[in-house]
Parts: sequence; structure tokens; C-alpha cells
Amino acid sequence: MNLQFSQPGCHNQLVGTHYFWHSEDMEFSALLNSYPGSYIVQSFSHSVIAAFIVEIAIKAWGIRNPAVRQRFLLVIIIFPIFSFPVYQIINPQRSSISFRLNALLDSSRWLDMELWGVVPVRYGFFLVFFLTAVIFFFQELVPILRHTYASRGSEISGERAEEHPGIAQALKDLPVEKADIFVLEDDDVVLFSTTGRKGSIYLSSGLLGVLDREQVRAAVAHEFAHVIRSRRPFLVILFLLRILMFYNPVVLMEFRRIVQEDEKICDDFAVSLTRNPLALADALRKLYVTEEEEKPGRPKNIMNEMEDLETYSHRLNILGRITRLEKGPANTGDKGWFAIVLTVVVVFVMNYFIV
Amino acid sequence: MREKLLGVFAFSAGVGILVLGLRFFNWLPLMVQVDSMREYQDVEEVKGALPIETILVPSYFPQNLSWPPSRILAQGKPFPAVVMEFEKTAGKDIMLLISQSTSEEFLPEEKIKIIDVIESVSYPVKGRNALLRVGMCQRNERCSGITWKEGEYTIHVLARSTPFELIKIAESMLR
Repeated sequence: MNLQFSQPGCHNQLVGTHYFWHSEDMEFSALLNSYPGSYIVQSFSHSVIAAFIVEIAIKAWGIRNPAVRQRFLLVIIIFPIFSFPVYQIINPQRSSISFRLNALLDSSRWLDMELWGVVPVRYGFFLVFFLTAVIFFFQELVPILRHTYASRGSEISGERAEEHPGIAQALKDLPVEKADIFVLEDDDVVLFSTTGRKGSIYLSSGLLGVLDREQVRAAVAHEFAHVIRSRRPFLVILFLLRILMFYNPVVLMEFRRIVQEDEKICDDFAVSLTRNPLALADALRKLYVTEEEEKPGRPKNIMNEMEDLETYSHRLNILGRITRLEKGPANTGDKGWFAIVLTVVVVFVMNYFIV
Repeated sequence: MREKLLGVFAFSAGVGILVLGLRFFNWLPLMVQVDSMREYQDVEEVKGALPIETILVPSYFPQNLSWPPSRILAQGKPFPAVVMEFEKTAGKDIMLLISQSTSEEFLPEEKIKIIDVIESVSYPVKGRNALLRVGMCQRNERCSGITWKEGEYTIHVLARSTPFELIKIAESMLR
């Protein structure tokens, strides 16, 4: 057999540049086929498939209970953390060529694809992972660390609710003795809670001027639900697990959905205390649904556009919660365990064939 | 109960559609990118489809091996690579595996893998400096492997046979 091999040195400058690019690309490709590279790629693919299956399950069983929906969404966050190592233990040959050729989806086919025969798609994927990591760092991690640091050193002073006649009357019969409630002298509308061994709820005198007694009662009950829920180590563990998927855009979106569902859970908790969903709906409308304001002279740039988009998205969430409160909670009795177990089984089996 | 069953039916239908979608999504890159890893009928087809001009094939075959290769896999991107599997004459066991690739890390050894290396020595193969490994494979079978560089390609030859047979096969691949 005649063997003839081309030598890189024989090529002109342009081809030499191509060789350099090609060798860099091969190294990147080798990185993707390493254990950490495969973990990153497959955890992303697995979370995408899990998100699809969970969405199908939520639609198929018509699940509207936020606590049950939250359990479903947890599958998308937690499953990809462990899926790749577990599958590799079950079958160490799962990343082999033979397995990939018969897989339901081989992600390397997409990653190795070249746009216009020049740029491999994998660079685009990793750009998305990098941007997700940046968003996670600046929008989730830094604010939480800053809040934790700030709340340690500073003490917010205000009048205790029991000493405030209007508030004391509004909160009568509410079992909120597990939290300290303070009224701040501030004309702005302020309502928030802090967590800790004994959580505190802060509301401003400005808020008392906007909401009536029933609405204040509903709003405080909602914040009280946050205080109660923050005592559960579950949310802390969930956030720590979520940090492991800092690069995963699907987890970024689904974690936000979990937080939104948490708001609905707190709404339901508040309604169970006050028995007045419409008061909470009205309070939400008064506090968060303001008329769209034109801001003259505001420059059109990407930061302002993103801010507008976030405001719009927040507004939609609030409107969704208001509609839900006005309609009344649905299928609260069914815990959805059958559907969850079936969904987890399908997610597990299907993702085994996603490499 | 009826609602639960209807839910199961709707869920199954949704998952079925998802599977079909994934199959399409998996097939699409093969249509767009012709040089991604896939199976070929013969060596000539590989040469015609991919920019791999020379594919090393042994001219010596022990009697227990069947020709042509039972499977040929090849790709042009992200790096050129060809894998040939040869079965036993009587049976379906893969007895010989040859891979040729420009990536040194590329070694598709899932069919023949030296799990326990008993000896690893450097051995000259027609003037090339090769690494010969002898050991035990899956199912506790004796097997051996030899690796060398041929221009820009790294060649791996793995066989469920003695190192003497393997060296004969490897030498027959070179002039």
C-alpha cells in the first residue's frame, strides 16, 4: 500500500494559520471529551430534556398547586447535578463512539458542527455558559452575599407593631408572634422581611397610608410566610446545589421560576391565615402594578432595555399572582406524588440515552 | 382516578412527541455536516467522502479474522479519524480494532480494552518507534496493542491475540 502523508511545513502561510486554528480546536474538542467537559455538556443537555419532560407533566396533569409545581421544577435543578456521574457508574462505556451512534441525542454532533464551515458551534455554547455564569454571579450571588453582609452589621430601628395602634388592630388574631414586626417612619411604600433565628417584618408608615386594614393584614401575613419558610434548611440547600450549576442557563431560568412559585406558596399561606384572597390581590395591585410611565430623555441602550424587560417580566408575574388569587387556588388537595415519581423515572431513563 | 389516567395518557403522548423531536434533532447535524462521525460501507467510501487520502489497512490477516471490516467509522471534524473493526471468522466477536486519527487522545477501545497491562515496551515497527502493550482484556482474555505515529496520524492496533500476531498485522500495514 502506498503511504503518502502531507507535512504541515510544506503548506503556505494561510494553510499554516489554519493548522494552528485546527490544533487549538482539537485541544478544545479534547477538553469537551474529558470528564469535566462531558459533565458540563451533559448536565446542560439533561437539564434541557428534564425541563421539557417536567413541562409536559405539568400540562398533562394540569398542575396548578405552586407547592407541587415547585417539586416538579426541583427535578430540573437537582437531576443534572448527579445524572452524568451516576450514568457513568452504571455504564462506563456510555461516552464511547458505539453508544453515541445509537444514542437518542448525541450532543457532540451539534458541538462539532461548523457554522458556514468555519466556526464550530461549541464556541457558541460555551459563550452562553460563560454569560450565564456572569449573570448568576452579578444577579444572584453578589446580591445575596451583599445582603448577608449588610444585615449582619446594621440594625434597623422602628416602632414595634404592638405599640402602633393601627397595626396592632390589623394584625389581631394573626399568629405572627414568631416574628418581630416593626413600623418605619418613612413616606415611601416599604414592606420587607429579614430572616434569621427570629425573622422580622418591616413596613413603613407610607405603606399604611396606601393600604387599608385588610390589605395590611394580608401583606404582613405574606411576609410572615416568607419568615416561616426561610427557617427551613431546604431552601439554603437548594441554593447551594443551584450554585454547582452556575453555568447552566436552563437552571438559571428554572431557579427563577421556583422563586416565583415560592411567592405563590406564600400567597396561599397568607390566604390560609386571613381567609381573604381578594385583600392580598388588592394589596399586590396597589403596591406593584403601577401605570406604565414614559421616561422622557431616557437613552435607548442595552442596559435600559434589559431593565425594562425585567420590569415587564416582574409586572407579568405580579399580574399572574393577582389573577390566581382572584380565581382561587386550584387542585390543592393532590400532592402530585404519582406524577412526580413517573416524571423522575422518565427523566432518568430518557437522559441515559442523551450523551 | 380517571383524571390520573388521562394525565398518564397525555404525558405519554407528550413524551412520545419529544422522542420524535429528539430523533430529528439528532439526525439534522448528519445532514448538515457530512464529515461528522458515521458508519461507512468500505474504505473507498471513506476516502471519497472525507479528506483522508491514506488509510492504513493490514495486508496480513490471521486465518481466524474475517475481511472486510465488520464496521468502519470515520469523521473529518473536529479531527480526521477512522476506526475499523474486524470480527472472528466464526462468530461476532471483535478480534481486531484499528484506529487512525490526528488526535493522540482518540482511542475508541470500548470493544477491545487492555484492562490489565502486564508488559509495556517500546518496539520498532519498520523503523517507527512503537509502544507495544500486552495484557488482559474484558472477559479475562489475553490481548495486545501497539501504537505509533505515522506522519500526522496516531495509529492504534488492538487485537485479542498474541503480541507476535499483532506485530505481524502492524508490520503488514506499512511498506
